[in-house]
Amino acid sequence: MKRVRLDRWASQLQPPRNPRLQVQRCAFSHETTTLPRRRETEQQRQYITQTQWQCQRRTVSSKRKASTATALQEEGNEVEADTPEPSSGAKKPPTGPSPLYAPSHRLAARSAKLAALHARLSLPPKLPLQTLARCLVDPSADPRTDYNNAPFAILGQDLLGYHTTEHLTCHYPRLPMSVLFAAQYAFVGEATLASIRAEWGVEVVAAPGVEVDAGLLQLKRQVPGNSIVEGTGRRVKDMPGVRVLGARLGGGRRNAEWNYRRGVSSRVVFDDEFGDLIGGEPYAGAQLSTSASEDGSAVEADEADGTTSTPPNLPQSPDDTEATTVSDASASFVRAVAGALYLHAGAAATKTFHRDHILSRQLDLHTMFNFTHPTRDLSRLCAREGFEPPVARLISETGRLSRTPVFVVGVYSGDNLLGEAAGASLNEGRVRAAAAALRSWYLYSPSKVEIVLPSDVEGMAAGKGKVWKPQVIDVGEIVT
Amino acid sequence: MPLQALRTVAKSQNGVGAFILQCKRIDFHYCDWAGSSRGMNAFLKHQLPAFAAQNPSIEISVSPRPGRHPVIKGQYINGREKAICVRNMEATEVTKKAELLKTASGEKLRRDRKPVKSFNESVRGVWSPFHGRQYKI
Repeated sequence: MKRVRLDRWASQLQPPRNPRLQVQRCAFSHETTTLPRRRETEQQRQYITQTQWQCQRRTVSSKRKASTATALQEEGNEVEADTPEPSSGAKKPPTGPSPLYAPSHRLAARSAKLAALHARLSLPPKLPLQTLARCLVDPSADPRTDYNNAPFAILGQDLLGYHTTEHLTCHYPRLPMSVLFAAQYAFVGEATLASIRAEWGVEVVAAPGVEVDAGLLQLKRQVPGNSIVEGTGRRVKDMPGVRVLGARLGGGRRNAEWNYRRGVSSRVVFDDEFGDLIGGEPYAGAQLSTSASEDGSAVEADEADGTTSTPPNLPQSPDDTEATTVSDASASFVRAVAGALYLHAGAAATKTFHRDHILSRQLDLHTMFNFTHPTRDLSRLCAREGFEPPVARLISETGRLSRTPVFVVGVYSGDNLLGEAAGASLNEGRVRAAAAALRSWYLYSPSKVEIVLPSDVEGMAAGKGKVWKPQVIDVGEIVT
Repeated sequence: MPLQALRTVAKSQNGVGAFILQCKRIDFHYCDWAGSSRGMNAFLKHQLPAFAAQNPSIEISVSPRPGRHPVIKGQYINGREKAICVRNMEATEVTKKAELLKTASGEKLRRDRKPVKSFNESVRGVWSPFHGRQYKI
């Protein structure tokens, strides 16, 4: 009798054992069997993403990513597999798999924190989650400009600054330059943008890496100067030879030399939009003006290549980058969101973003003036405008011989009252009244009907209802 | 310099321009064994997907807490956390508690004695003894 061939006999009752078949796993199951990891197909991945809740789940694939090394390996494999696909924007370098220092785009699409941030800011669907994830990566976490938020931040800073400046100059045409700088800083300066980042509920990582959530702000944090260095009992800032952040000032400009008088005019020409010295290089790898010999060699190298090659001192990995502060990185993030919004959704969306998040903030311009000689300035102003010379007159007073007198003084040009204020002495009242008069001059605002912003009639908004009206341009500041 | 400026930071007015919902994350903890968690389990099965879809700006996390009463914890943008124990509640009541956490800001519960909160002193101007009708002795 023929021996029963158990494998054949059994195979008639069981389905054929095709080793290429993948085991169909229930999306809600929590079983952790040690199956050999197979490459999930795109379809299966989509199915899992659609059906699972946005909560942390330990599947077989994530279990094997417990260590950063294996995760990096797998991300590297994924990047390698993706390079043949047509990638939008050609972000990936052509030679070999590049290491990732921040969560990959696939992880970004699955991050609940990131999706929640996108919805909290009511960003349009045109701005993808992957771009928002890239906006959260500071150059100190990943120095490659294709993977961090530096390009978006530069664009966003220009856009936010442009919209703020046109708002201020059209609504307050007589605002003096120093107050304009300060108002610009109050709206879109580093401190305000850092505060905005906190108000948006964006948290900061303790240390950047591939395994962190894609919805966290990633940066390499600078060690605080007050912290104690291990081994010694001294603080970091007391250690000899330590370089203070911001010591590299000027970037080669004349403005930063020790004997240069930095007035308002020089700030307009040389400095940034807030009147502050521009520190270091505008972007990584920028050609700074140096001595003639170095210039010659740099220019020759560029011309020979035809393309700009990476200079040897450019950081290639997060180990080489300089650490930044949370405030700096937060400002970069907010600027990057504005820049990315412009690229994906257009100029109108950026303007709406600026109006909703920046201009909606409250700023008292009348508290930002710090006069040194208001009476002299008012006198020069009246002479320039052809008014009668200002005369201070006592309107009312009380308690002259008491401990707390009050003198209400008004400054008149002829019969017209320019400004009035109360003071504890006659002189104080006179000076405060002159300051009030100057404030009312500087804070002149045309009627809302007359104000037309340039961005309302330029570019894509041209011919859409708003007609351009020439705006008030002031003669200039008071020369004393 | 004739005129210097005093730098400051513009203050936020949430809702004047964009409105940022203050609740950024809600954690739901349930138990498969405890009887007090029945309502919570029913809520998680039937009502949570709709709640999550209606509130895309809240990061929702569901995790078991075996042997404990069910609890909902909300985390807010100001860094504070609010927890509500939903033991022995029906699914509809759990929904109400989740809505309560969603609509709260993270501030401590306090009673406001003043009717109006504003940056501006007044709309019609603050009274001054030196202007207007002078009192003659």
